[in-house]
Amino acid sequence: MITGGVRVLNVGLPLIVEGVPAADVVQLDWRPPAFGDAEAARSAVSLDDELTRQANERAIAAVHAVRPRLVRVRSAREVVPGIAEGRTLLHAGPPIEVARMCGPMLGALIGAALFEGWASDAEDAEAQLRSGRIPVSPCHHSGAVGPMAGVLAPSMPVFVVEDGGRQAFTSLNEGLGKVLRFGAFDDEVITRLTWMRDVLGPVLDEALRGREPVDVTALFGQALAMGDEGHNRNVAATSLLTRRLAPVLAGLPRGVEVLQFLAGNDHFALNLSMAGAKLALDAAVGIEHSTLVTAMARNGVEFGLRVAGTGERWFTAPVGPADGLFFPGYGIEDANPDLGDSAITETLGIGGFAMAASPAITRFVGGTPDDALATTRSMRRITLAPHPAFPLPPLNFAGSPSGIDVLKVLDTGVLPVINTGIAHREAGVGQIGAGIVTAPPEVFVQAVAALHDARSAR
Amino acid sequence: MSSPHTETLQAKVFPRLYRDSVALMALASSIEKREGVLRAGAVMATPGNLEILGRSQMLPPDLTAAPDDLVLVVRAADEATATDALEAAEAGLTSAEQRGGGSSTEVAPQTIAEGLDVTGEATLATVSTPGTYAPVVVEQALRQGLHVFCFSDNVSLQDEVRLKRMAVDRRLLLMGPDCGTAVLDGVPLGFANAVRSGPVAIVAASGTGAQEVSCLLDAAGSGISQLIGVGGRDLSGQVGGLMTNLALDLVAADDASEIVVVVSKPPAPEVAERLLARLERLGKPVVACLLGEADADGPVAVRGTLEGGAAAAAALAKKPLTLPRDGGDEDGSSTPLPGRVLGLYTGGTLASEAKVVLGRAGVQAEILDLGDDQYTAGRPHPMIDPSARADRVAEAGAQRDVGLVLVDLVLGFGASADPATPLADAVRSARTTAAADGRDLVVVGSVCGTAADPQDIAAQRRILREAGVVLQPSNAAAARYAVARVTGSLTTESTQLHSQETA
Repeated sequence: MITGGVRVLNVGLPLIVEGVPAADVVQLDWRPPAFGDAEAARSAVSLDDELTRQANERAIAAVHAVRPRLVRVRSAREVVPGIAEGRTLLHAGPPIEVARMCGPMLGALIGAALFEGWASDAEDAEAQLRSGRIPVSPCHHSGAVGPMAGVLAPSMPVFVVEDGGRQAFTSLNEGLGKVLRFGAFDDEVITRLTWMRDVLGPVLDEALRGREPVDVTALFGQALAMGDEGHNRNVAATSLLTRRLAPVLAGLPRGVEVLQFLAGNDHFALNLSMAGAKLALDAAVGIEHSTLVTAMARNGVEFGLRVAGTGERWFTAPVGPADGLFFPGYGIEDANPDLGDSAITETLGIGGFAMAASPAITRFVGGTPDDALATTRSMRRITLAPHPAFPLPPLNFAGSPSGIDVLKVLDTGVLPVINTGIAHREAGVGQIGAGIVTAPPEVFVQAVAALHDARSAR
Repeated sequence: MSSPHTETLQAKVFPRLYRDSVALMALASSIEKREGVLRAGAVMATPGNLEILGRSQMLPPDLTAAPDDLVLVVRAADEATATDALEAAEAGLTSAEQRGGGSSTEVAPQTIAEGLDVTGEATLATVSTPGTYAPVVVEQALRQGLHVFCFSDNVSLQDEVRLKRMAVDRRLLLMGPDCGTAVLDGVPLGFANAVRSGPVAIVAASGTGAQEVSCLLDAAGSGISQLIGVGGRDLSGQVGGLMTNLALDLVAADDASEIVVVVSKPPAPEVAERLLARLERLGKPVVACLLGEADADGPVAVRGTLEGGAAAAAALAKKPLTLPRDGGDEDGSSTPLPGRVLGLYTGGTLASEAKVVLGRAGVQAEILDLGDDQYTAGRPHPMIDPSARADRVAEAGAQRDVGLVLVDLVLGFGASADPATPLADAVRSARTTAAADGRDLVVVGSVCGTAADPQDIAAQRRILREAGVVLQPSNAAAARYAVARVTGSLTTESTQLHSQETA
């Protein structure tokens, strides 16, 4: 009577299938879906149909088809939409009023205003920010991404990555220590930013211009095979990029100065990884009915999530500090709540999702290579497809799990893992540690409710 | 006795750890047995469960937990005892957690979709999650094209109708919610017996009702082709027999099914009319076993007891049901027994059938279905954990007005491994208590099971007989025996079947 015979998935008590031959039973390790929120679970299951499946297939195919190429380094003013008018500064994460900002982000904005020469001193800059005379806006709203505070000012040089007619942008990485992205804004910081504007940006642009663009996907694919995960470990990608540019840079005026800077900054390629991920994920924004996550970003107060089917809407929830390993003398009480657009790498399927590629980093974030394999495997459970360009050697060259599906997050209760640096809560102290955080469950619950409403409204 | 001042309440929250309620209740009860522990609770921190803890003064005021967190609470005579008990409970939880482990092993599938990744051959999902989540799991399974056996209860009628419509649209069975029994193509699900295969298909809105009918068919030398449970509300006006209709379609088309028995409480009148019309046109002989209805013969044979339904189907299968007396004492039986009849049942439909038999004879009796929510609250069903019913039986010995206790004993898959022993112990205790008071307490019962069941039916019967239980060959026969004892009309025929069925 039952076509195919009685073969059972048992959800719950083992005694229910006591009489079924063991070979015909798969016992699920079931647990309450949607973090125990039955209403959200109902909304999620009601969306789990052919319409959603097809939308998600289109969305992930669109994301994987993007091949970002680094073409230029330009002044933000010339290329980043919305930054040239008036005195606008961009920042990481979802939108936030200046009054609610965390220390490092406010510090970075003050530093950027000083760098632009818009303020006489820090107090003046802060006053202008608080009064709205210097408006702020998320990087994500301008096709850009920035690590930590993610502050972008019009005079800063940016990487321009493009594919087809679309572009994405990101700042150039300053290195470690006292840097703007951790909220420092003293003379040392401004001096470096000035050098980056006047030397680093133009020289890099000179090295890129008129030559074959750098294939960002291929660069990071290779870096994953060399022990990077594309977020917290970037030494391989930075080396590859430097090697690629070195023959040209060496022959340019002040080129050696630039090479010395690249040689001293293991994280230089991080920003490029982020811009590539941003460009890829933007390809799915607005694909109706798709439950694919297109952005995860933190502003130091809130975590923000965007989903393809709900376009540019942000779902936000309060964010806490990352618990990880701290540099000597610091602890969780010193840590700023999680910060930065860099979770765009995990959104694409590298960073925390590619932990298996990076046994070296597992010690930095307090774990073992076994943990790294387990992390990548668990991310498979919430993603749509392996990324064809990011094969992971330790997993028999299976592609890194790519494309977070909100419905799978609710069904499994598995939250996206994000590798992150930890900033000191006070502006300018800098990085005090690194660790692993998970996205807060609330944003996924909100997203499913919105997707459900959008469907019902039709 | 500890003074209330030194009593302490300690709790521990395990974020995002899930255990099913049966495991948690078992854990709590093992912790409560520890010296100095006054009360223990182990629950998922749903709003409902926290409220229950609160009502029983078991909720620490500062406790915060999400619905998918697990909470352990211990009230003990002193701090050290509570701490030790919590540690022991935690060890009990984590010992189950540490399976698999190795770096190269994949995690066990957790969701329907992950289960299908493991075995794309699955055709059916069995669901026994908390009722709050059951509609979600059932919908996931149906969307994946799986038949569903839903043991979970506490599912709203609205959800039942919605999901059954969805199932019917896909030509999938949704057995339940609150479905206890099924046997599909010889494979038993839930609480089912190892019944011989045979020509009779059973479509049942009741769990133990279907078990009793199938076991009696087995006893008659016949057997079943299919047993499809549909859930107790399927023939209500709101559900309208959605799943009964689909099940009838399936058995009508099933070559192994020659005779069809429908087992239910009497359906809602508007549903009954449609059902009987449908049964008349089924193209196979049909017995409608509708508890409490008057027996009637027509195109569809209607029977008001389970035994009557089984006998009618057995007769159609040319394997007449003749049940031997299973022994029991016959002394002093023609004088009416002093005292009233108390039924202490683990099977809901068996309790209903006893009421029907006693009611037809005009005997007043108190018949309790101890599997009903009002008695199980916080404990496993008495078919899984026989101790709750055993306690009641033992207590009955001290009830001076009770002259006869009527019990059932359900064997089969899912049921306790040895349900007879705790019942027998309780019967001895009750009879001893009554004897000390100068009373003779009569305990009458029947065993619902087959020779092939995992429990060894002969041994289970022996255990009960040795404790002094008067065993009858069917539940209806046990009820008739009770009638005969309390009315003083015991004869050798009184437990025999109606002549037309035995002929």
